[in-house]
Amino acid sequence: MSVRVPRRCGTHGVTTIWKGPVMATITIKNVWKYYGDTAAVKHLDITCPDGSFVSILGPSGCGKSSTMRMLAGLEHISSGDIFFDDLRINDLAPKDRDVAMVFENYALYPHKSVFENIANPLRLRKTEEKAIKERVEAAARLLEIDHLLDRRPHELSGGQKQRVAIGRAIVRQPKLFLFDEPIAHLDAKLRAHMRGEIKHLQRELGTTMIYVTHDQLEALSMADYIAVMHDGELQQWGTPSEIFNHPVNAWVAGFVGEPAMNFLTCDVIGEGDSVSLRHRNFDIPLLPQQVRQLNGGAAAGRARMGVRPDALDIALERPGGPSITGEIFVNELLGGDMLVEVALADTRVRVKTTPEFTGKPGQTCHLTVNRDKWHVFDTTDGHAYF
Amino acid sequence: MASQDVVHYDSTAQKLLRVAAAAFLIFYLVWTLLPFVIMFTSSFKDLLEAFNLPEVGDWGGIGVFFDFTPTLKHYTSLFAEGNFGRYMANSLIAAGGSAVVSVIFGSLCAYSLSRVDFRGKQDLFFWIISTRMAPVVAVMVPLYSIFRTFDLVGTLPGLILAYTTFNLPFAIWILKGFFDNVPYAIEEGQMVDGATRFQAFVSILPLVAPGIGAFVVLCILFAWNDFLFAAIIGSGGAKTLPVATRELVQPQNIQWGSIMAAGVVTTAPMMLLGLVIRKYLVTGLTMGAVKE
Repeated sequence: MSVRVPRRCGTHGVTTIWKGPVMATITIKNVWKYYGDTAAVKHLDITCPDGSFVSILGPSGCGKSSTMRMLAGLEHISSGDIFFDDLRINDLAPKDRDVAMVFENYALYPHKSVFENIANPLRLRKTEEKAIKERVEAAARLLEIDHLLDRRPHELSGGQKQRVAIGRAIVRQPKLFLFDEPIAHLDAKLRAHMRGEIKHLQRELGTTMIYVTHDQLEALSMADYIAVMHDGELQQWGTPSEIFNHPVNAWVAGFVGEPAMNFLTCDVIGEGDSVSLRHRNFDIPLLPQQVRQLNGGAAAGRARMGVRPDALDIALERPGGPSITGEIFVNELLGGDMLVEVALADTRVRVKTTPEFTGKPGQTCHLTVNRDKWHVFDTTDGHAYF
Repeated sequence: MASQDVVHYDSTAQKLLRVAAAAFLIFYLVWTLLPFVIMFTSSFKDLLEAFNLPEVGDWGGIGVFFDFTPTLKHYTSLFAEGNFGRYMANSLIAAGGSAVVSVIFGSLCAYSLSRVDFRGKQDLFFWIISTRMAPVVAVMVPLYSIFRTFDLVGTLPGLILAYTTFNLPFAIWILKGFFDNVPYAIEEGQMVDGATRFQAFVSILPLVAPGIGAFVVLCILFAWNDFLFAAIIGSGGAKTLPVATRELVQPQNIQWGSIMAAGVVTTAPMMLLGLVIRKYLVTGLTMGAVKE
């Protein structure tokens, strides 16, 4: 194996440890995973472009970890195929797939030093000693843990352990990075910091990365593409903004976004060009193009209206246009924002406003919907009309 | 794993109880150590001095017990006239060999049982343990007949095999517990890093080292102290220390001094081993039990 010479990287002054990116397009084709009779992953189709940062997002038990383990070769693929570029990897052992994985619990060797932990993949590949030293040190510098190389894992903090685990993944140049909830165990502040670090690292190294998480904020803030999974099925594939702004169904809309989207079951009233959503607390007409999107579907039936807390405006005076009338239930000051929970006839909705809002619990208030940003979902299968 | 401080407020009854407990412990200590003390001192005494014992109840006569001229003649006779060097080597080879073989196969089997799911796994595991349920004597005759057929009687490999038959289920049973406590992620990380399954297995061995260490000691103790197998399977060519010691009892001449010296030679190495690895042994045996 040739010695890779570290080079200085322009803008941030960090040393990269590879010559150039080795990338791969990852294609998952109609993959199923069964445990006994239970299907954990169902007809999954995903294509991760070369060099992209893809996040698989979903609650626990949605099949995201099974998917990752199938990519790594730690689980058999029950049916379907996975390709790295044109290479079908179904029957390759983990060691032959050329992937690097970071585990949720770091999977470090308790009895080996940080240096040896990072050097592990190189030792397994019988890399010469000089190259090992160079590359481990370069990786450690990149992750700012070069002063910890002699320590044992139990002497490190959670964040440092996590960096060591990442160091072990980047010390060789794999085709694909697999990150399995790598920062789930860290405290909130450090998590926020590591999000930026990992995103930066991926861009720096240019390698395709698949990042599994249950935290929608991590997925939205880091990924180029998000695959939202639920009950073993892919719900939606798209950029973070597509997922956030145009969820394909009520489940995705409810899972992504914090504070969560408000849902109200309404009657769809009217015909032709004037269709409105009616609820005991309001009657608001749809925008013209939304009427067209709804047609052939739920017209003159029932539908679920979904609106995010920041697409609602709250006021104590009744505004000019159509509005929702309710009673303030509770105010929560979240630093720069205020979250107001408003009680309607049969439910409560949450509204994001500024801390200057003066309403007190018990007062009547009026909500205006930003109709460019609301959504209407089918009441039976939950798919989005818009 | 520091033990917690418990606050005590003693009543008179509790104080009395503590004195009683201390008295009992002293009695227990004398009870367990006295045979070793007598054996050890007698092995350095001339035969006449060895039987120069105080009367029962004559506490003042205890001095008589320690009044002797030390001699090494029993030890020299064991190793020079007898063949105890050979027997000691036999004991070491049989005990060590069986420990090594049991550890190798035991860890492989325990790892598989810990990591791989297959049909009938529970039954297999129970069957492995159940082989330890019958007393050794019950299988001795068929075992002897099998060993004789294969010309293994009176040979060291035969003795190693016999000990392994009984140590291996024990090894599998103990080591499985240790492997169960090693997180899967460590070996999965290895495999993704480029290791084969076998390399991954080898790489987690250091994590079960306390278990392996503890087992090796128990295994050596079993084989080293064993008399039954050694007397029957090992008889003749593979004589071990306990059997050789037994042979010092001859109908017309019981060689007390040599028997005492042989007892010391047999006991001392295991006691030293126990002292050296005491801490290790305790960690090993409790580690398997406590899930972190």
